[in-house]
Amino acid sequence: MIELTIYGRGGQGGVTLAKLIATAHFLRGKHGQAFGVYAAERSGAPLQAYVRIDDNEITNHNQVYEPDHVIVLDRTLINPQILTGLKPDGWIILNSPDGPDAFAEQFSGWHVATVDATTIAVSNGLGTRAVPIVNTTVLGAAARVFDMSLEDVEAALVEVKFGGPNIKSAREAYERVQVKRLKGRLAAAPSAPPKEPVAGILDDVVGAMPRIKTGSWATRQPERQTLTPPCNHGCPAGNDVRGFVEAVGEEDYDRAMTILLETSPLPGVCGRVCPAPCMEACNRRLFDEPVNVRELERYAADHGQRPDPVKPWRKERMAVVGSGPAGLSAAYHLARLGYPATMFEGSAELGGVLRTGIPTYRLPRDVLGEEISYVLQHGVDVQSGRFIDRADLLKLSHEYAAVFVGTGLQDSRNLNISGSATDLMEQGIDFLDRVRQGQVRLDGEHVIVVGGGNTAVDAARSAKRIGAGSVRIVYRRTRAEMPAIKEEVDEGLEEGVTLHELVMPLRLDRDGLGPLLTCQRMRLGEPDESGRPRPIPDTSEDAQFDLRCNRVILALGQTSNLAILPEGSEIRKDGTLLGLSGAPIFAGGDFATAEGTVTAAIGSGRSGAWHIHRTLTGEDLFPPPSEPVAEPDVITMHLFNHAPRENSVMLPAADRRHTFKEVRLGLADGPDRHPAVAEAGRCFSCGVCNDCDQCLNYCPEGIVLRDGEGYRFDYGYCKGCGICSSQCPRGVIYMSEL
Amino acid sequence: MSTVASPEELYCHNVLRPGNTNCAGCGMSIGLRWLDEALDGEKPTMVIPACCGIVTAGAFPTTAYGVPTAASTFASAAAVASGVSAVYALNGEPDVVVCWTGDGGTYDIGVATLSAAAERNDDILYICYDNEIYGNTGGQRSSATPELAVTSTTTKGKSERKKDMMAIMAGHRIPYAATLSVAHREDFLRKIRTARKTSGFRFLLTLSPCPTGWKSDPEESVDLIRHAVRSGLFPLYEIFDGIRYRLNERPDGTPVEEYVTRQRRYTKVPTDAAPLKSYIEDQWRYLDAMAKAFPMEGA
Amino acid sequence: MARAMETGNHAAGYALAVAGEANRDARGCACGAYPITPQSEIIEFLRGFDFTKGRVIPVESEHSAMAVCIGASLAGARAFTASSANGLAYMVENIFAAGFYRLPIVLIAVNRTLGPPWNIWVDQGDSLMLRDAALLQFYAESHQDLVDTILVAFRVGEDQRVLLPALVALDGFVTSHTQMVVDLPERELVDRYLPHCNIPHRLRGEHPATIGGLTWPRETEHHRVEIQEAMERVPQVLAEALDEFEHVFGRRPHGALSAEHTDDADTVLMACNTMVRTLRNVVTARRDKGERIGMINSKMFRPFPRQELLAAVSNAKRIGVLDRNHSPGSGGIFWQEVAATLQSRPDVIVQDYLVGLGGGDVTPEVIDEIIDDLNAREKAGEPVWKEVAA
Repeated sequence: MIELTIYGRGGQGGVTLAKLIATAHFLRGKHGQAFGVYAAERSGAPLQAYVRIDDNEITNHNQVYEPDHVIVLDRTLINPQILTGLKPDGWIILNSPDGPDAFAEQFSGWHVATVDATTIAVSNGLGTRAVPIVNTTVLGAAARVFDMSLEDVEAALVEVKFGGPNIKSAREAYERVQVKRLKGRLAAAPSAPPKEPVAGILDDVVGAMPRIKTGSWATRQPERQTLTPPCNHGCPAGNDVRGFVEAVGEEDYDRAMTILLETSPLPGVCGRVCPAPCMEACNRRLFDEPVNVRELERYAADHGQRPDPVKPWRKERMAVVGSGPAGLSAAYHLARLGYPATMFEGSAELGGVLRTGIPTYRLPRDVLGEEISYVLQHGVDVQSGRFIDRADLLKLSHEYAAVFVGTGLQDSRNLNISGSATDLMEQGIDFLDRVRQGQVRLDGEHVIVVGGGNTAVDAARSAKRIGAGSVRIVYRRTRAEMPAIKEEVDEGLEEGVTLHELVMPLRLDRDGLGPLLTCQRMRLGEPDESGRPRPIPDTSEDAQFDLRCNRVILALGQTSNLAILPEGSEIRKDGTLLGLSGAPIFAGGDFATAEGTVTAAIGSGRSGAWHIHRTLTGEDLFPPPSEPVAEPDVITMHLFNHAPRENSVMLPAADRRHTFKEVRLGLADGPDRHPAVAEAGRCFSCGVCNDCDQCLNYCPEGIVLRDGEGYRFDYGYCKGCGICSSQCPRGVIYMSEL
Repeated sequence: MSTVASPEELYCHNVLRPGNTNCAGCGMSIGLRWLDEALDGEKPTMVIPACCGIVTAGAFPTTAYGVPTAASTFASAAAVASGVSAVYALNGEPDVVVCWTGDGGTYDIGVATLSAAAERNDDILYICYDNEIYGNTGGQRSSATPELAVTSTTTKGKSERKKDMMAIMAGHRIPYAATLSVAHREDFLRKIRTARKTSGFRFLLTLSPCPTGWKSDPEESVDLIRHAVRSGLFPLYEIFDGIRYRLNERPDGTPVEEYVTRQRRYTKVPTDAAPLKSYIEDQWRYLDAMAKAFPMEGA
Repeated sequence: MARAMETGNHAAGYALAVAGEANRDARGCACGAYPITPQSEIIEFLRGFDFTKGRVIPVESEHSAMAVCIGASLAGARAFTASSANGLAYMVENIFAAGFYRLPIVLIAVNRTLGPPWNIWVDQGDSLMLRDAALLQFYAESHQDLVDTILVAFRVGEDQRVLLPALVALDGFVTSHTQMVVDLPERELVDRYLPHCNIPHRLRGEHPATIGGLTWPRETEHHRVEIQEAMERVPQVLAEALDEFEHVFGRRPHGALSAEHTDDADTVLMACNTMVRTLRNVVTARRDKGERIGMINSKMFRPFPRQELLAAVSNAKRIGVLDRNHSPGSGGIFWQEVAATLQSRPDVIVQDYLVGLGGGDVTPEVIDEIIDDLNAREKAGEPVWKEVAA
């Protein structure tokens, strides 16, 4: 008589394995017996099945107490308890990815056979990693140990009507099983726990908590992770976008501001003029529309209080050249690190391109002024009207502990246009500055703006406001490729600006009727190095045409003027300058990177401040590499409801024509409406737990517990169903195999 | 310093305690937890017939139910609850008496008892967790099993449609009947609270995912029910006094295949799922007609 | 005492009602009610009774009638119901449940022949079908015995040493529908006699137990032992209940087993219910003629009063058991109990007579013939089918 005990879990097919082993022997003319222990436990609960094989009729109907061999179907059930009653020459057959030597201590002295049945079974389509069906695979392994041939195994599988993948799996297991007699003294089973006293039906103990720790049923368990939200990842200023949006959603605008001001002194500015790469990265774009982060930032800035500024406490003084976004950011962050800073600005007023290059209908002066003033309140000195040239810079590097240069883009790109009327051309950035100073009127003039960036759109819309008869933007690619903020383009079109796509100016001449711009029609070709399709001239006959105009404004972008830099110096990638004898000089913002956005300049200014701090103190404030980005596939989109994006209230287009009043009025609260909160509520909070309670609410066992500021899983009872993970909307919970 | 609470402190008074013997991913467990929550601290008396729900309790003398619980014979849940409820009423005790039953005990063997208690309008909150199968006995068909589902007694797929238990209960003109989804938490909690505030016989039907019987991934249990509701297969609605209808959520175009292809019990459903789609269509034609003819005020 | 002419059913209904009423200052009473001939008047009476704190719930089946009683009893009330024949058969599952749950529900069985084919007349095969339930069983010989025994059944079943359901049987029609003079105990006295019903394991918030979950073999065996021990305490509890009954009401109902004239009797006949009355008349007549004959009223079937039986027949040579029931393949059910009890007395002839099945009228002549047959026996034989006249 051979007796076997099979240790498995409910649903793993232990009883079927018993039947298969018995059947294999029955088909060879033996007597067999196979049965399981039926109890209350369900799928996943540890269970036992038994087999008896004999030459004669089997008359023993008791459970098996002293098996000749044992089989363990699930590696989480491998423990010394399986040695209970096992006869000394018996085999221990384990479903385990590890070979016999891994059990050298636990099962010392025993015959051990191992096979990675789970991998084999799953690779043959028998169940999933979460719920693998390993019984037929283990049969193949058992055959090697029990002196059954592969033919016996296959005959039994056919007899019990198991198909091809089972036979294939069994065969693979037969070939891959590892067998070994482990060295050492025979390990022994721990002694059985004493029996609980029997309770009577009227006893007080009736109603006590279950003694089963159902965590022992689990083959997987949930874990938590934090991923980087794509908006945070995409923010050049390094803002915790998700974090401030969450604060807005909780109507805690002060906290939203505190979060924003950690990384940027200019939330009010960015909330109005940032191109918002965060919104381009927003995973919600794949669901309906990206969260309107820009408006939320503005809302926070309009409604939140800034924390009281701290005053510098260090003695090392800093020079910051330029008061645009990079300079402001560098001065601000240096001040927050305790350094007294002096900002040098060539113009009379601070703000750089924010003041000169962005029309006030987009960025009102008081908003800019308030944010600059907050920077200054951190103990930042100003020397305005002081243009710094190369010699001055060298001097500063000997007077200050460090210098940050953020002078932006000084030179405008030109267009190679010939003709007799090129005197009517003007650079957009100069035009905007003149408009700002009230130096220009365009009564009835017809204006053509060349370019597709924000400056082009700003110039066009400004021209409209100062009386232009018509304003046309000509752009050599199509609208889809325009770098300008989409909403700005929309608003310009609403205001009457027209857009001529796929057009490149060639000549600006005069004829008897006045000036005319000869243009070339373009078409889109293969992508260039910027990733956008390359515009190439249309070769058809009527591809050239003339546009009448009084004035042409060029807005083709700007470049930095590096003439300020000392001779022999060079900007490294990180903004540091090489080859100088004085204090360290750092270059930042557009001046160093030509990124061309406010947000990038802010990030660059902060990074410059950290570089300086690290150089002076050795303290590294740069954060360690962040967690992986929460890609769209970790977001459980079907858990969200579609919700239209909340948009800013707009000044009516008719009211915009002749004024520089702010066009976009922000998210407007109504008596029953709180669009900022609604919009913040659209945030998926990708990869970051926001205490939404989904895991806690949907856990069938009730063992997700609030633990301080997060959640804890009570693994003692967790059955590993995975519902918390499937119901986590934002990829924070994942299941790990035990 | 923080001290970790013992399981007794954490869970002892839960309606459903951890350590219960339900399968991983069992929908009943979610239902029991939400029942507990929606009762807002009030502890129900449970009456549970022979079904998975009583096996849940585990072995004597321990129990996974942290509230007074009576196991009844298979067909008797509503009648036992009538007895309990009557005596509570005689003694002026406000405790809510909950029948927690499977579909076998509701649609089949217990239907006469249920009908009688409903007709008497006894003060009982009757909740059927319908997993559309005799799960406790190994997965045989019940009259709640949907068309084409494979069970151990319908190996070629069930040839009959599911019994419309809600219509039967509406025919009793009970004060409140509603369907509940374990994927629609707020709706579920609201309906339990509505039922709790209503006196007389209240019938709640929740489609209860059963990974073991449905041959589905435990982790998809909740998602399956969400798909069932969104596809229109399991409509969420309420019937007041048996004659006033309120439909809570309309199908949103989710294809029923999202539901069907995730369960191996549905291997006999044709790839276009046409029979289920026609079932959905019929069901909604009926519900829409009822809701139009007999609307609940304010619906 | 209010002496009245009543049918057995109304007398039983009255006893149940006043017993229920006696619990009005505790958790009240409840009854699941479902009609069946010849029991229906009992539940009609109860439905018409104006309880201070009680409910009679009309259900859709006997199965549910007992289920309501289980629920009510689990909630701490005094609970009772009544049925007959196929109604009892339909109720069986829940009668077993009541016993295993240790709920002292009182069940009136108006004995009727199990069908189909349909027969509404008396036969004890219905209540004796419940032989193996955890259920006390009493058989009342008269209207008065019926009323008194119902009160005793509450008191014994609800005793904390017992806590088991109790069945009180009466003959269909012969008792149930026959008008007789009976003393209906006054409510004040019943209030005195019956303590408040206390279900120690009743459902209550402060003790969240699950009644009737799963038990392993060890626990199951232990609970069966507990039931057996409770049964073994019944003789003592019953004796106390009878003493108290006598104290309160001034009369003493029959006990579990009453032996009449057995001291000197060679021949002893045993019966229950109204057959006892006929038998008593025959035995009295024969004793008047000098026969050494005695009789036993085996009122209690569960727990079976083995010791009382052994004591009663210590001098007997022959015992004849009248069984108005039949266990196919074996014989009379009372006879099986007697034969098993008397295995220590191989000297005694124990003969079974199957008589009056399906409601046949068991007349004195039939009993005389049985006695003659018994007296002529040298040894016991197979159970004898004794045909009756009508």
